Amino acid sequence: MARAKAERQQPTTGMTLIVLVGLAIAFLLFMAFLNVVKSGNLLSETNLLFAALIFYAGAGALYLGFGVTGTESYVKFASLATWLGLIANTAAVAHRWYEAGHPPFASVYEMLLSFVWTLAVLTLVAEKKYGVKVIGTVTMPVAIVGVVLMQLLRTDVHPLVPALQSTWLHVHVTLAMLAYAACALSFALAMMFLIQDEMKTETFLAVTSASTLAIYASVVLTRFEKWGGLSLVAWNPEQKSEVFLSKGVRLFVTIPDLGWLMVLALLVVASPLVFYGLARWKKKKDDGFLTLANRAVFISILLQVMALVMFLVRASDGRYPSLDADGLFSTSLAASPFILSGLVGGVFISLLYLLLLWRRPDLERLLPSADNLDRITYKTIGIAFPLLTLMIAAGAYWANQTWGSYWSWDPKETWAAITWLVYAGYLHMRVTRGWRGRRAAYFAILGFAVVMFTFFGVTYLLPGLHAYA
Amino acid sequence: MAVNVRASARKLWQTAASINTGVVLLILVVIFSAAGTIVLQRPNTEPDEMLTAYSPHALRILDATGLTDVFHAWWFLTLMILVSFSIIAASIERFPNSWRYFSRPYKYPDESFRRVLHPQKSLAIADEETGLVAAERALHSFGFKPERVVREDHFGIFAERHRISEMAVYIVHASLLLIFFGAIVDGVWGWRGTLNLNEGETSSAVELRDGSTRNLPFAIRCDQAGQENYKDGTPKKWWSKLAVVRDQRDVEKKEIVVNDPLVYGGVRFYQSSFGPNGKVDELTIAATPSGGTGEKREISLRVNDTVPLDADTTVRFAEFIPDYAVRDGQVYRKSNQLENPAAHLVVSSKSAGKDFDVWFPPMEDVADNSKAPYQLEATDLKMGHFTGLQVSHEPGQWAVWAGVVLLGIGLAFVFYVVHTRFWAVPVRDAKTGKYTLWIGGSANRNRDAFAERVNDLVGLVEEKLRTIPETARSERVATGVGK
Repeated sequence: MARAKAERQQPTTGMTLIVLVGLAIAFLLFMAFLNVVKSGNLLSETNLLFAALIFYAGAGALYLGFGVTGTESYVKFASLATWLGLIANTAAVAHRWYEAGHPPFASVYEMLLSFVWTLAVLTLVAEKKYGVKVIGTVTMPVAIVGVVLMQLLRTDVHPLVPALQSTWLHVHVTLAMLAYAACALSFALAMMFLIQDEMKTETFLAVTSASTLAIYASVVLTRFEKWGGLSLVAWNPEQKSEVFLSKGVRLFVTIPDLGWLMVLALLVVASPLVFYGLARWKKKKDDGFLTLANRAVFISILLQVMALVMFLVRASDGRYPSLDADGLFSTSLAASPFILSGLVGGVFISLLYLLLLWRRPDLERLLPSADNLDRITYKTIGIAFPLLTLMIAAGAYWANQTWGSYWSWDPKETWAAITWLVYAGYLHMRVTRGWRGRRAAYFAILGFAVVMFTFFGVTYLLPGLHAYA
Repeated sequence: MAVNVRASARKLWQTAASINTGVVLLILVVIFSAAGTIVLQRPNTEPDEMLTAYSPHALRILDATGLTDVFHAWWFLTLMILVSFSIIAASIERFPNSWRYFSRPYKYPDESFRRVLHPQKSLAIADEETGLVAAERALHSFGFKPERVVREDHFGIFAERHRISEMAVYIVHASLLLIFFGAIVDGVWGWRGTLNLNEGETSSAVELRDGSTRNLPFAIRCDQAGQENYKDGTPKKWWSKLAVVRDQRDVEKKEIVVNDPLVYGGVRFYQSSFGPNGKVDELTIAATPSGGTGEKREISLRVNDTVPLDADTTVRFAEFIPDYAVRDGQVYRKSNQLENPAAHLVVSSKSAGKDFDVWFPPMEDVADNSKAPYQLEATDLKMGHFTGLQVSHEPGQWAVWAGVVLLGIGLAFVFYVVHTRFWAVPVRDAKTGKYTLWIGGSANRNRDAFAERVNDLVGLVEEKLRTIPETARSERVATGVGK
């Protein structure tokens, strides 16, 4: 129903969005310029990053506009904006490198800086070399979240502790960044393959709903406090660091009522999955439930945005009580990077689903053929796998130089090995069993999920030697 | 019965070699490794931390199953051995075929092969020799070295490149086995421990992970150790000057820093930490006779040193307490952390036949600072330092690094080196008697891009055919080859 309605709409005429985005960029640059005049320092890292953020945001809007309307001229301006953002980003990386005296890989902030840079480069490569034009729709929002997170994290240049002063560290981290970026690309390509492979839109609905459900369920399960509060890590704004009760024990503050909002969001986010289940259960060709499910997605986006906005407003400002200590403490978005990324990610996944729901025929027209996507996915993994191998080897060599042991089964190491095994499994199934198409795409998606867990999950959930990153 | 045993052995072998077994084993490795990162692991986690994390009952079950030390559990080792066995079996099972393929390249495509090969193309040619020469020249300008294949009743052109690519996967598997081998050698014969040395101290006793001690056949002496800081106070560099002592002689010396170990006799010494050892190196005091008439003297003392102040009086550095507390007129050692230090000196007077306890800081109930014949003042305190060394012996690591290098090479071949083959065969149509040149090619990966290459080659052959006729004929006359 919704799809039919959407198809009847006239595509927006080309220039409107470009002009709007152009004006927005000009306005933001003007505001930034005023700021620069006030502080008298043009090429500070903050300004460069801010410029990069503005351009990436403009590029993201244009790529999204391209995805929705299929207007070719958007892409030209989108890649122009990406180029400009990349230039600013490169300058920021160079500035950082010069300032710190070592390549920017030593802290989460510096890793994000390099990651966003790699992502922008890969976006341009995928677009120009392989003609995958919509890729910006996925990568640019990720880049934006990355730059926003960077603004929150502590930015002062940290001297390197003795264990990190090694060339092998740079080799190791560079390889990791390249490998993970290649894995991310293979994931995006596998998703596009599934679209081109005529996977049912309902299946995407179920997956979207299940992922957002998982996000909200983990937030509610781990952070919901009695009487509807949401507990967050306390933050010391002067030191820009988390507050510790004792070594390794963080202090949590409780923001009242925000917990209820998360529970409500959880229920609404779950509803499309329920309707989908009902539609499957009735089996008859009854689209009633599916229509309901699609509407529920729409409502869930509104609620997710509300939850995100409330979270942003309340976490970035105000002082809250704690269950473990007397007094009021402040918190910050930087103290909860995972909840923030989760909430933004949820909205983003749901929006991508809407894009698919409304504009599927256009997307199918714009994307390369299923066969090509399958092949490019394989090629990307063919790049990612040797890089992963070398990354692990460089890490092992470095560990041997520093700790006297090339392998100590530390969680990050173990998960890197698991990632390697998953991709090795993919390659074996593809070569010996001839797995192509859908099964290979699922495998590529699984591989990327493991990569994400290795990159983020292990750092924050499991203890270990990789305390630096 | 014998047949039965052989049959079941054969079956077992085939099971081990099958890809399904490999995949199941890999999945098991993944599951158990993941478990090993989620459950707290024994040697790294303190026992009381384990007790707070799990209930006694749960802990007993976890310990009994080995889940608290997954990576050293017997079943994990068994699993790794099974994986190795599966890799070996799978490689041996598939190797003969690949080897045949590798050692006896298929140079002349027979008719059935020609029919099914893709991509292929046929060009009209005047006669056999023209076609062959054109193909040869085209392949030459393609960068290949074509070879003429002559059989009893027919001939053709064969050219190939990077045949080694067919063996690449075995290189990868062999390198993995080499890495496993090195790891097993290290697991059985290797060990790791720590050695903490105070400046000036010599020791050969390494404390191993499990708490036992291992005596090295040589000793290590730390001559000096130090730390350099960044401006903000975080450590920038730790260094120690070490000497290897064997039979009372210094056989080797090196200043080590983090990331740059000392290697001697297969044992590596890594700088891992540095800090005050809570012991005093040297205390400097200023002594003035109590009468107020004598000169002020500066004296440096180590613990237990006794120094004469004049003919009648001596001072002894009796004790240093890094963290003290006073209770009931007694001084106690609270801890060995350098928190609240106190120094105890004894001034003895022979003529008075009396000892005076001098304390820094002066403690009212305990100290005789003001009664002593000399007024002492502490002017400087030099603390001793220790250097923390990680010691490891990894006899298998050379196999591991060799395996890693081989793995890198193998993977590069697997993904980026393509075995390409081209054939060109002149074919005579039985009915019309006219000749065509059949051109075909095959590549072991990236086949779509390869189809383009075959098209390019065909274009090149056509071009050569246009330029050849006369020269080819003259060559034919010269060599005497023809119909």
